[in-house]
Amino acid sequence: MRYFVGIDIGSTAIKISVADENKNLVGHKISASGSMFYKYAQEALGELLRELGIDEKEVVYTVATGYGRKLFKEADENVSEITANAIGAQQAAKGYGAIKTIINIGGQDSKAISLDAGGNVVNFAMNDRCAAGTGKFLDVVAMNLEIGVDELSDYHFKSAGTPLSISSTCAVFAESEIIGLLGNNHSVEDIVSGVHYSIAKRIVKLVKRVGVKENVYFDGGPALNDGLVSAIENELGHKIFVPEYPQITTSYGAAVLACDAFLSESES
Amino acid sequence: MHTERTIETAAERQNRHKAMEAISVLNALKEDFKSTIQSMGYFYDLFENVYCHHQPLHEGKVKIGTMCIQIPSEIIYALDGVPIRLCNGFYTDDEIGSDLLPQKSCPLVKATVGWFASDNFSDKPDITFSPTTCDQKTKAGAIIGSFGHTVIDVGFPRTKESEESRHYWRESVKSFAVQLSKFQGKKLTRSNLEHAIKKVGYAQSLYHKLTEFRKAKAVPILGADMFLITNAFFFDKIDAWIHAVEKLILELEQRAEDEVHVAGKASPRIVYTGSPPIFPNYKIPLIIEQSDAIIVADETCSSNRMFNDMVAVDEWNLYDMIDSVSDKYLKACTCPIFTQNDDRIRRIIQLVRSYSGDGVIYQAFAGCQVYEMEQRSVLAAMEREGIPILYIESDYSPSQHGQLTTRVEAFIESLKNRKRMKK
Repeated sequence: MRYFVGIDIGSTAIKISVADENKNLVGHKISASGSMFYKYAQEALGELLRELGIDEKEVVYTVATGYGRKLFKEADENVSEITANAIGAQQAAKGYGAIKTIINIGGQDSKAISLDAGGNVVNFAMNDRCAAGTGKFLDVVAMNLEIGVDELSDYHFKSAGTPLSISSTCAVFAESEIIGLLGNNHSVEDIVSGVHYSIAKRIVKLVKRVGVKENVYFDGGPALNDGLVSAIENELGHKIFVPEYPQITTSYGAAVLACDAFLSESES
Repeated sequence: MHTERTIETAAERQNRHKAMEAISVLNALKEDFKSTIQSMGYFYDLFENVYCHHQPLHEGKVKIGTMCIQIPSEIIYALDGVPIRLCNGFYTDDEIGSDLLPQKSCPLVKATVGWFASDNFSDKPDITFSPTTCDQKTKAGAIIGSFGHTVIDVGFPRTKESEESRHYWRESVKSFAVQLSKFQGKKLTRSNLEHAIKKVGYAQSLYHKLTEFRKAKAVPILGADMFLITNAFFFDKIDAWIHAVEKLILELEQRAEDEVHVAGKASPRIVYTGSPPIFPNYKIPLIIEQSDAIIVADETCSSNRMFNDMVAVDEWNLYDMIDSVSDKYLKACTCPIFTQNDDRIRRIIQLVRSYSGDGVIYQAFAGCQVYEMEQRSVLAAMEREGIPILYIESDYSPSQHGQLTTRVEAFIESLKNRKRMKK
């Protein structure tokens, strides 16, 4: 068998996807980027292949993407995460319908990507500064509230009052705002839904810059948070599609590109 | 497992946005200052109920929308209507209105138009009267009419000194009274108008009592709270408002006796003027009071201008009363739409003197042309009088908070220095 690997080295996590010749996802792995991207990426890939019972020689093409893509020297090719994200989203949403807009919230950035009918990237926008309103921000919020990131969604849906807006989505300033709200005995639920809506408003502004066209696809780690998904849907006024594994869309896209690249090379 | 998610309708989204704006201002009022006033609770709850829970206040009553301060509420009350002033302070509605009006329009007008465009009211006006005050308000009336709302123009003159203007305005008010009377199927009589004038006059007298407390060295109430109280008069049940303010006055009397001061020892005393702060756009007043100053008086149409001058009736017969009501809304008005406006300058100076103001903060909404233009003459007059003044242009967007704070803080610090040098 021949296999294709996509490896996405992000600021927070390394995501690896393995696809077969039919571009089906056969396995994936997510591990923390930590301090040594390159070493951890190699280790994680080795582990994943062992788990899947795939011999290294069966991997015929590897594409790296993400901020750390240039650090992974073994890759046959590397592509920007925008291209990989677009490809991965279409593949992952195959049964759902054609994707025209992608929202991606990563560990330390966020993007909106607009696709044409053929699935080509026609426009994209990225947040212009720092980690405001990204996965890192949600981590900081959860830490301040002394709850787990995976609990944010439950708290969101339990919010019975008016969501309390956080005026700053800067992780540093928001921290003091949240502590202030807690000090005044506001409910954690209302703070959480307020945080989600603050992020949602910000991301929807970004999406509007590239234009909102259905279907809308949402990926990246924060897409696991249903409360945030609901907040974005409400701000957008559209339903959005979240794939089964929202974190690995980009690496899956890279694996699909690896497959395409290999097939076109062997044809020529 | 993914939760089943439903998506808000446009109206639900608008309501949530407005609720979020409202609650953050109410929380700031309740939590950011020392020594909260018990009887302010009525007003905090009122605004929360109306803007966070979208609770109607006037079910079963006929609601008469007014597009500006000049539509006499005395006549509306006399004819059994509830006046609802539609000047709007929500950024949410401003954003909706921005799609319908030129980019450089006044945020207050955009917010009002946006509100009507969305047709999402907890107390929807059955009919709206639009005085032809500034250009943007005048055109806004027509635009709102085009959405299918009943809007009636009430001609308002742009000069106030001449007899012709006075006559013209008195005729306008009479025709307004006739139209409203037809709409309500009720006659305006000597007794119902007298009753209404006295009731509104009593509410005004309560406002005057409140402002007296602000003359003292220890100011027992925040300027931002005062804006909230006067703002409530836009839409509250008048009897409930009167009752709440009576209670508040009792509490303030006690606070005055105990010399409770809501600001610091060195806090400069500010007179606020310019485009009206309307809930929840309390951006500048809150920045001022969060920066260790205290607003002791204001010259704005959402507060002082609404209450300052009483109807002065010579003879309590119907036509005399209508004329006196008309005069209150023209002669005493210090709106910058008038050609000459020395009255406004005199009012500001008088407020600075009688409330021991250390400085003036003049806010104009970006796009509110008349306030922007009148800035020049007011600044020159303050310079002649030796009164420090800060001119700020801002809109409803939450984004400029940092820069505005720095400017206001620097001004307040300069006032503090000035005070120290004097000593």
